[in-house]
Amino acid sequence: MAKKIAYLCKGCGLGEALDFDALTDVLGENGIKEVKDAEVLCSPEALAMIKADIDGGADKVLLGACSARVKTDEFGFDGAVIERCSLREQVVWCSPADDDTQKEDRQMLAEDYLRMSAVKLDKCEKPVPFQLEGEVAKAVLVVGGGPAGMNAALAAAEAGSQVFLVEKEAVLGGFQAKMYKLGPQTPPYRELEDTGLDALIAKINGNEAIKVFTGASVDKTEGAPGNFTVALSNGETLRAGAIIQATGWVPYDPEKLAGDLAYGSSPKIVTNVQFEQMAKEGKLAGINSIAFVQCAGSRDANHLPYCSAFCCLVSCKQSMFVKEINPEASVYVVYKDIRTPSQSEEVYREAQRQGVIFIRRDETYPTISGSDKLTLKTKDVLLGEDVSLEELDLVVLATGMKPNNPVMVEAPLVAFGEDQDAAKALAEQIKAANDDWSILNLQYRQGPNLPSLKYGMPDSHFICFPYESRRTGIYTAGTVRRPMRLTQAKDDGIGAAMKAIQAIRAAEAGCAVHPRSGDESYPEFAMQRCTQCKRCTEECPFGTINEDEKANPLPNPTRCRRCGVCMGACPERIISFKNYSVDMIGSMIKGINVPEEDEEKPRVICLACENDALPAIDMAAAKGYKWSPYVRFIPVRCLGSVNLVWIADALSSGIDGVMLFGCRRGDDYQCHFIKGSELANVRMSKVSETLTRLVLEAERVQVSEVGITDADKVAELINGFMETIENVGPNPYKGF
Amino acid sequence: MDYKQDFAKEVYEKVDSGAEIKVCMQCGVCASTCPLREHMKYSPRKIWTLIRAGRRQEVLTSPDIMLCTSCYTCKVRCPRGIPVIDVMHGLASYALSQGITPREETAKFGSVFWAGIYGTGRVDEAIVPIQYCLKDGLVAGLKKSLGMMDIGLSLMKAKRLKPKMFIPPNIAIPPSHKIKGIKELQRMLDKAKALGARKEG
Ligand code: SF4
Ligand code: SF4
Ligand code: SF4
Repeated sequence: MAKKIAYLCKGCGLGEALDFDALTDVLGENGIKEVKDAEVLCSPEALAMIKADIDGGADKVLLGACSARVKTDEFGFDGAVIERCSLREQVVWCSPADDDTQKEDRQMLAEDYLRMSAVKLDKCEKPVPFQLEGEVAKAVLVVGGGPAGMNAALAAAEAGSQVFLVEKEAVLGGFQAKMYKLGPQTPPYRELEDTGLDALIAKINGNEAIKVFTGASVDKTEGAPGNFTVALSNGETLRAGAIIQATGWVPYDPEKLAGDLAYGSSPKIVTNVQFEQMAKEGKLAGINSIAFVQCAGSRDANHLPYCSAFCCLVSCKQSMFVKEINPEASVYVVYKDIRTPSQSEEVYREAQRQGVIFIRRDETYPTISGSDKLTLKTKDVLLGEDVSLEELDLVVLATGMKPNNPVMVEAPLVAFGEDQDAAKALAEQIKAANDDWSILNLQYRQGPNLPSLKYGMPDSHFICFPYESRRTGIYTAGTVRRPMRLTQAKDDGIGAAMKAIQAIRAAEAGCAVHPRSGDESYPEFAMQRCTQCKRCTEECPFGTINEDEKANPLPNPTRCRRCGVCMGACPERIISFKNYSVDMIGSMIKGINVPEEDEEKPRVICLACENDALPAIDMAAAKGYKWSPYVRFIPVRCLGSVNLVWIADALSSGIDGVMLFGCRRGDDYQCHFIKGSELANVRMSKVSETLTRLVLEAERVQVSEVGITDADKVAELINGFMETIENVGPNPYKGF
Repeated sequence: MDYKQDFAKEVYEKVDSGAEIKVCMQCGVCASTCPLREHMKYSPRKIWTLIRAGRRQEVLTSPDIMLCTSCYTCKVRCPRGIPVIDVMHGLASYALSQGITPREETAKFGSVFWAGIYGTGRVDEAIVPIQYCLKDGLVAGLKKSLGMMDIGLSLMKAKRLKPKMFIPPNIAIPPSHKIKGIKELQRMLDKAKALGARKEG
């Protein structure tokens, strides 16, 4: 039998705002007999008291004070399950209390939160970390021996890991080996510099912790973080704890520029990659006049829609190659915008100092004609005239980069819904869009490759989580992840190495990686009731769940990020975490006290994403916004973890409306768990059918996007929704 | 053929601070900060483009290179650290050395101003405008001064110009009082001019 104690804080104005005797009674009615209050709960004395109680055997502790997002150090007690009930942000700060009715509403709000917290505490168990069977593999496998891969290998080895570095070519180096020289890298940024490749390879070869496999590729990758088994094409089998894919880039196919930039019409029209090779082979003599054409296919919806972020730098550098041999040569760079961020600006400047002429064009491509000596005509927008460059010995097309990664798109929601024909058509469409080659050959139920974003890059959350792919423990680094220049690729490799090491440590400790780092809970499946519907396997954003021949889910907990999307997906509700379950949230909802219809006090719940919406709500409260005291927030790990049964629970217990606050969805999603917000939205669209069946208005359920910066829109959203609820009237199921 | 590099090289080598314009990135900050921009056909930025494009005639005959009032805003604000004003003056002086007068009035004013400094070692705020106006003869001079009446009145209002400045003995006619050591000053100026001419030559 658990020993539960609740502590209520009277500081920060809570003491004056609330009736503590009544709160204590409510806790008592909900199974917490021992309730203590403190003038200031975060004072050293009060903290010492809590600690002493925990040491004395209290294993479930409720803290009725401020938001769980603040004072995490003070209230971070070990040894007990801690539930923090936000009486400050979610009650006192945000509810108006100008008259007695409002004060009464506020008190009811506080009591409801305490009821929910008591239920939660009751249903929460202390998680037991998942342990892999056998020894955890601690080696880092790096696939791709270019700049990012080599630097990743070195960084991981220097941090104490065993490293396997696999390169498909016969030698290490990747694109760095194909380069003639680098642009100026060090102050005063005047000289071209050596690529530094030999020294780097020597360092790798000299490091005993790194085992290099050249001329090899990956045939098969099985397992999960902490336990990958990787078969190489050379017959070797490796065990690794985490994987870094640094497979670099491929140049944009210049044949596609035959129409726009006359590629192929003269041997004197070459790409930047070909030009680099010419430089390396010493074939630049005799150039008196040369033009570089920037954005050759880049930032063009018909070719590569994005900026490759390196070609401006490269043309500046390559123009210096020409000047190195012939300082008097006329060198032109015809550009749309010069994009040379950070240190590459120095290379741009040095090229200018050496007399390279930059000519700005508009969106239309220049016309290039001639065979031996070329003529380039373009609109010069800075001069405001059409200009013509003649007698050119060479024209270099600055083409962009594409990730060297097979495209794999995931259907947002295949198995869901009654419309199986549509689902099948979608599946076909997706299959056609996917490449049929692979780099890692993952033996995952969800496909052999890393899921890719819009442009085929295997990234997962561009803004917040660099290096993360949508397969836990597999990180991407360098130009495969997004276009970048060499110096960035180096740093990228180092960053990914650190992530890989973290993933291995997390697998060892049995806890989650980013973004729920350290979370020891994980989904458990009550398999007896599983109907093999496959929703969890297909909807998990991270490919956690494999399948046996009978379509039973086979979870790999070290691949799991603990988002709860599977829990939200499961129609049988058999997936739960020790401290987060369908039953727990359902019971919390049922714990809310719903007044009779004639009291005219509606009740609304708001399921709010913990990552973004909840902080925004806290901030709104801190900023002094006030909103209806009839709303109760329930934090969820991700909107994707919302199980439809909660909505049914709420509406059948007389709650008048349900709001869902989640992150932005769509192509530029901000969801920490990639698809959670998207999934929730699709699921809720199905809910309206159910509501109509129950003769309830569809307006009673509303999904809104609330980002972490949206504090200013929280109050408006809530009050707007309350108006809607007022208009549709009370829930007819009240009191049943 | 556009963008032949001969003229650009001529500017880099012969014009004071000319090589500095190589690093211009055409941001237009100079143009947008220049108080005289609306009187210019070509802003400094555009002048640099014309130089790169090889438009010798257009650049050296452009009155704009002689319109600069030396306010220094461009030089302070240019993100590439180009001494825009120095190059503008350099171009003007280079044009003169090539027998081209980009802007008649400025050239005239300059010669009066210069003659004053060279002859007496000082600038007399009353003498310079009188001489400038009288340079084309009495009638033309009176016409010109009437045309500049507005400016004169504004200057008076701002107390930059006082009527008593034009009344002897405040004004010496003919201008006579030279500074001490005028000979040394002249030697210095001769030397500086010779150095400048060597670059432009
Ligand atoms: S880096 Fe420059 S050339 Fe390359 S796509 Fe971007 S703007 Fe165009
Ligand atoms: S959906 Fe989320 S919680 Fe469930 S298995 Fe996948 S990563 Fe883990
Ligand atoms: S401010 Fe400087 S860099 Fe910008 S256009 Fe003018 S001279 Fe060029």
